[in-house]
Amino acid sequence: MAGLTIKHLYKRYDNNGKKKKGAKLNDYAVQDLNLECGQGEFIALLGPSGCGKTTTLRMTAGLETITKGEIYIGDTLVNNLHPKDRHIGLAFEDYAMYPPLTVYDNIAFNLKAKGVDKAEIDKRVREIAPLMQCDDLLDKMPVKLSGGQKQRVNIARAIIRRPELLLMDEPLSHLDGKARQAMRTEIKRLINDIKCTTVYVTHDQLEAMSLADKIAIINFGVLQQFGTPAEVYDDPVNEFVASFIGEPPMNILETTIVGDGDHFLFTFEGSDLQIKVPERYNNVVSNGFRCKMGVRPMDVLIGGPDSHGTPEKVATFENLGDERRIGVRVGETLLMLITDDETRYKAGDVIKLEVRGEKTHLFDIETGNRIRE
Amino acid sequence: MARIQLENVTKRFGKVTALDGISLDIKDKEFFVLFGPAGAGKTTILNCIAGIQLPEEGVVKFDGEVVNLVDAAHRDTAMVFENYALYPQMTVYDNMASPLRSKLYKKDEEYIKNKVQEVAEMMKMENLLERLPSQLSNGQKQRVAMGRALVRSPRVYLMDEPLAHLDAKLRNSMRTELKAIQANFGTTSIYVTHDFMEAMSLGDRIAIVNKGKIVQIGTSDEIYYMPCNEFVAQLMGDPEINIVGGKLKKEGSGYFFTLNDVAERTYQLPEDQDLFRALDEAGLEDIELGIRPQNVKYSFEPKDDYTKCTVYSYESIGNKSVIVAEIGNLQLRMIAPNGLTVKIDQDIYVKLELDHAIFFNLETKEYVSRYNEAAVKALAAEQEG
Repeated sequence: MAGLTIKHLYKRYDNNGKKKKGAKLNDYAVQDLNLECGQGEFIALLGPSGCGKTTTLRMTAGLETITKGEIYIGDTLVNNLHPKDRHIGLAFEDYAMYPPLTVYDNIAFNLKAKGVDKAEIDKRVREIAPLMQCDDLLDKMPVKLSGGQKQRVNIARAIIRRPELLLMDEPLSHLDGKARQAMRTEIKRLINDIKCTTVYVTHDQLEAMSLADKIAIINFGVLQQFGTPAEVYDDPVNEFVASFIGEPPMNILETTIVGDGDHFLFTFEGSDLQIKVPERYNNVVSNGFRCKMGVRPMDVLIGGPDSHGTPEKVATFENLGDERRIGVRVGETLLMLITDDETRYKAGDVIKLEVRGEKTHLFDIETGNRIRE
Repeated sequence: MARIQLENVTKRFGKVTALDGISLDIKDKEFFVLFGPAGAGKTTILNCIAGIQLPEEGVVKFDGEVVNLVDAAHRDTAMVFENYALYPQMTVYDNMASPLRSKLYKKDEEYIKNKVQEVAEMMKMENLLERLPSQLSNGQKQRVAMGRALVRSPRVYLMDEPLAHLDAKLRNSMRTELKAIQANFGTTSIYVTHDFMEAMSLGDRIAIVNKGKIVQIGTSDEIYYMPCNEFVAQLMGDPEINIVGGKLKKEGSGYFFTLNDVAERTYQLPEDQDLFRALDEAGLEDIELGIRPQNVKYSFEPKDDYTKCTVYSYESIGNKSVIVAEIGNLQLRMIAPNGLTVKIDQDIYVKLELDHAIFFNLETKEYVSRYNEAAVKALAAEQEG
């Protein structure tokens, strides 16, 4: 087992020298990416489709050439190593199993190809199968398996080689909601048991949040933030990260700050909602300062009868069983809040809206970057 | 505007029975959701209403009038599909205007202009009208597809998984937006989905469809709190409801419940006369309880009434986290706040809030009763009214 270090990594697809229509010369799929994944750590590469996360994974695996930069697995520079010499295990979104072979032979295939002796192969298959809960499946053919079972076999096949590094590319995205949730728990459990360094590519923030020790959020080939789930959730570096992490996403509203130097308020065009600006921002804001305010739906509350909250009309009320979501119009934007409160509201009902001012974040209106105290 | 009825509708494709005696009565102006897993027959029901497919048996009625023999074009429905089916060479404006320029529903251009403008405003896409579909994001395309249905005033809107193509985030925000404009529809709408959040949020009533049959019809609260069987209970809610098996024993006027696998744990059931009467009637010894993850309490210190388990997994999901605890062969999912330091395989003490339990028959997996059934019924009645 080994860590992974990525230094100043670039990737440009040049379409065999032909310039892609509309592409600029400096169009990098991956741009100056730096990452460090410690031994035994589980990191997630997270971002919207086309952000370069899979490209990064493929360069790490050796399936894609590196335009510039260095990738180390452990202390070894692997830029010029053949994929087979990188000691990696791969599990992709589609399972790519050999249909004429049984599950057992599929799992054993790589070891057979390497010429490992039969007794050893058998021992390792029997060792891995219960871990991935596929002991009952060993004699079956791939066509007989459900999607979840196929993915289990697929992962078993990746880890049987005892790789230095396990690379997974959206392994759950083919599965439906229920199977996905169950499989997520299984992967979490498995990685805990085998303690293998893992890089996991996903576009689903929920998967990244629940599985990873650290998350690298990428957009347009550029790393936005690299941190633990708690860090990216509580302390996002910019508007993109803030709205990408969390469901429903953080409420982000354009605001004009008014105040006298000691006390400031967020005010919003087309709404009488006012929210206290945390005092720690006093030296960065001023009367008339324009920026964006972000607040998570969990930090917007419904006040009781004697609350001093702003009375606002309910625009949308959604009863989702486990929780209820309420939307309030602030200007053109829908400000969302989540509550466990059992009251059933209707559109048009008036609630007293309380916003936890101390939980608000400020973002630059132009760049989207966090404005810090 | 129409009341839509299906009576005993059966549809077969060769040897496969896709719909097996479906009966539905959808009220005028109702937003009615068909919900179920893939392959359940939801879309086939929609197609039978639209007239795209003809049932082998049974009748489809619009306002009491049998329409089986009326072809699709003359049923006056408007459909929204999962794949947006926009005309790629036409601007958004022309796409939205297209139904009103068709022979059947022809309107003059002045009317069209006003109508498109009105719908575009409602859908917040006035700024998109001049664009071509290729210049739109997926969410915007779906908005156009929906807008195109809304410019007409058909007797019924039929929507087949309109949000299914969108990624999770967009789907959630589009659902909320749809909820916001829903009140303006004023027309009977039938909405097919396999996403329980869409079903719960949007439906005045929901029909649960499985294997070509209607399993349950009710408001979101009825279906969530009084699911007619374990299948329905498991469909609604994420993480999934816990189903725990055990033995029920009556002593005096009280009931005791012993968890399977954890024989030493016996709980006295909190008193609820209606529930006890229902249990008396059912006379079951083996029972399964459905307990939602938010009704499982935990502690990291031993506590009275708490049962020792080990942590099987801990997943933080942003604003909350999910702990799975294991005891014997039983796994319990529960909701916990964020930011806990939980180690896999550590001890955890767990308490089931039995006063929120839903009781199911072990053999048939069907609903027996639950706590506070009267309150749930009252809530549902209030919503219907």
